[in-house]
Amino acid sequence: MSTEIKILKQVLSKYSKPMTLTYPSAVAPERRYSQIPEGLRGIPERDKDKCIGCRACYFVCSGRATSIYDKDAKRTVEIFLFRCTFCAHCQEACPEEAIKMTNKFEIAVPNREDPAARVLTELDLLKCKNCGTPYATRKLADRTYERLMEKIDPIVKETVSSDYKKLDGYCPDCRRAYGVDLDTHTKKYVWLEGV
Amino acid sequence: MVDLIYTVVSLIVIVPLALFLGVIYSYLLRKLSARFQWRVGPMFRMYGDLKPLLGTTRLLQPLYDILKLYGKETVVPDVSRRRLFVYSPYLSLIFAVAAIFFIPFPGMPLLSGVPYSLIIASYLLIASILFTILGPVASGSPWAAIGARREVELFLVSELGFVLSVFAVAIARQSLVIWDISSGGQSVYFALLTVTAGALMLVAMLGKLHIKPFDMPEAEAEIVAGPYTEYSGKLLGTYYLTKVFLLYGLVALFISLFLPPIATDVLWLPLYIVAAVVLVFLLTAVQVLNPRYRIRNAINWYLKVAIPLGVLNFVIALAIWLVV
Amino acid sequence: MGIMDKARIYSPWLYHLHCGGCNGCDIETLAALAPRFDVERFGIQLVPSPRHADILLTTGCVPKQFIPMVKRVYEQVPEPKVVVAVGSCACGGSLFYDDAPENYAILGHPDLLIPVDVYVPGCAPKPEAIINGVVQGILKLAEKRAKK
Repeated sequence: MSTEIKILKQVLSKYSKPMTLTYPSAVAPERRYSQIPEGLRGIPERDKDKCIGCRACYFVCSGRATSIYDKDAKRTVEIFLFRCTFCAHCQEACPEEAIKMTNKFEIAVPNREDPAARVLTELDLLKCKNCGTPYATRKLADRTYERLMEKIDPIVKETVSSDYKKLDGYCPDCRRAYGVDLDTHTKKYVWLEGV
Repeated sequence: MVDLIYTVVSLIVIVPLALFLGVIYSYLLRKLSARFQWRVGPMFRMYGDLKPLLGTTRLLQPLYDILKLYGKETVVPDVSRRRLFVYSPYLSLIFAVAAIFFIPFPGMPLLSGVPYSLIIASYLLIASILFTILGPVASGSPWAAIGARREVELFLVSELGFVLSVFAVAIARQSLVIWDISSGGQSVYFALLTVTAGALMLVAMLGKLHIKPFDMPEAEAEIVAGPYTEYSGKLLGTYYLTKVFLLYGLVALFISLFLPPIATDVLWLPLYIVAAVVLVFLLTAVQVLNPRYRIRNAINWYLKVAIPLGVLNFVIALAIWLVV
Repeated sequence: MGIMDKARIYSPWLYHLHCGGCNGCDIETLAALAPRFDVERFGIQLVPSPRHADILLTTGCVPKQFIPMVKRVYEQVPEPKVVVAVGSCACGGSLFYDDAPENYAILGHPDLLIPVDVYVPGCAPKPEAIINGVVQGILKLAEKRAKK
């Protein structure tokens, strides 16, 4: 019996004050949500201006939530939230820091085709000067050039730089096919083998 | 003639009134136990911005539950004994409603003045619970069978407590008519009997209404929903309705037997409401403070505590009869 | 709006069906039902039998051995009913689901077996997100009526 009295005392000590939050209602904003910790991994958000369409997020995505497909000279980078585990691997892998996990978590959608269930980014593709095939985004080409220049051996830097500028605007197939005509064929590096 | 018309009118009025009061009592039971657990419970005043969607008040929440169940599809299992399965809830409801006709309400004596009304009311309350056992047994579900078996065991011991407390009062008052008991005077001796027999009645009510230490027939963590596992839609709604009427009936019976003369004159109505709320509060306090007993423990507890208390009641009642 | 339609919105009862998976969503669901978020404010109750339920709340991806149970529990819920899929596994299969080659043990999301009305993605969704999904489920429930 003493245990029950102890429990009753404990129960009645905060009896006048329920600890319930007001969740769906916004009458008391400070008591609406439970703790939202800093660094909560909510819906990922992609900055359209920063994304270069490089597929790094696609390769690391463990749930295969991220998919990339080219259609009508547009590259679509998509995260399907129904398959996303909110692990933030894409945020870590993104070289441009375009993906950020936000604090938003209230998503409830009525069907699979709902736009709210997908994080979509559409990027324009460059068209090949020669054959007209869309092959990469402008930013991807520029960033590739920059990073190439950062890391390349100083001996070949100048040659590669000029070659790259000659090749700019051609799709990979055309680069291979017209390598000799444009004088960008790798056979001119043969002399470097002895160095 | 006027008396007859008044009785007929009050018999018609008491059914919606009992439903309303029973709904309020069950709302209180839910709300108070929620507040005991530091939460809000069914909201009395809905948040301002949700009012258009979710209604202004949930005072009638148990009634909404029942109405919703009446609007749902009713599934009858193939393996059940169909007739018994379908009619049991309605019979249970009819017996519960019939029982409240024999229990007085302030200003409405109803049928409580008929000879042996105490025995009739007790019988009807028992029969109502009997049909909450019969229907589930007919459903052919093992969970319902286990639940019904537990309910039978609990029913046997809790009914013993019920009878011992009710008939102790009847002996002390030397009457088997509820109206005579509830309009009798008060004295120190009767107050003593109210304490001991009232406590036993409260314990019996716990068993009859499946309130926490004795809710093993519906132990949802062990045996799905117990007796009600296979019930759905209208039939389940009827059982919930029965529960509401039973809650009202038992509270009214408690007040009319142990707290006379509250249940007689219409002037006592405020005190009647206060007594009912206090009673519901006591039931809630027991519900939130106790874990569920195992059926064996419950029977042992009844045999060790409740039955000696009942015998004590009889001794007091006999003493009152002989001395006073 | 008639009183019956109102009653349908005011008292949605919930049956929690755990299909498989890691239990994360189940713990969050239980948190949503606990005093901190107390859904009984709106008349939502957790019921122990699918026959009493209005809202079927599924969590986890469906293992192949569990297919008949999912179908059966869905059929046991009386009309009108609403299915709310909680968590990425229940929405789209998440990590565990393969189209080709097919996984030997796991079928994928319950959507392949039963019609789902509301999806709540998240791994695991916060209790607020689950309540948000259930509220949307209630709105869908209001549109449906019992089949005669």
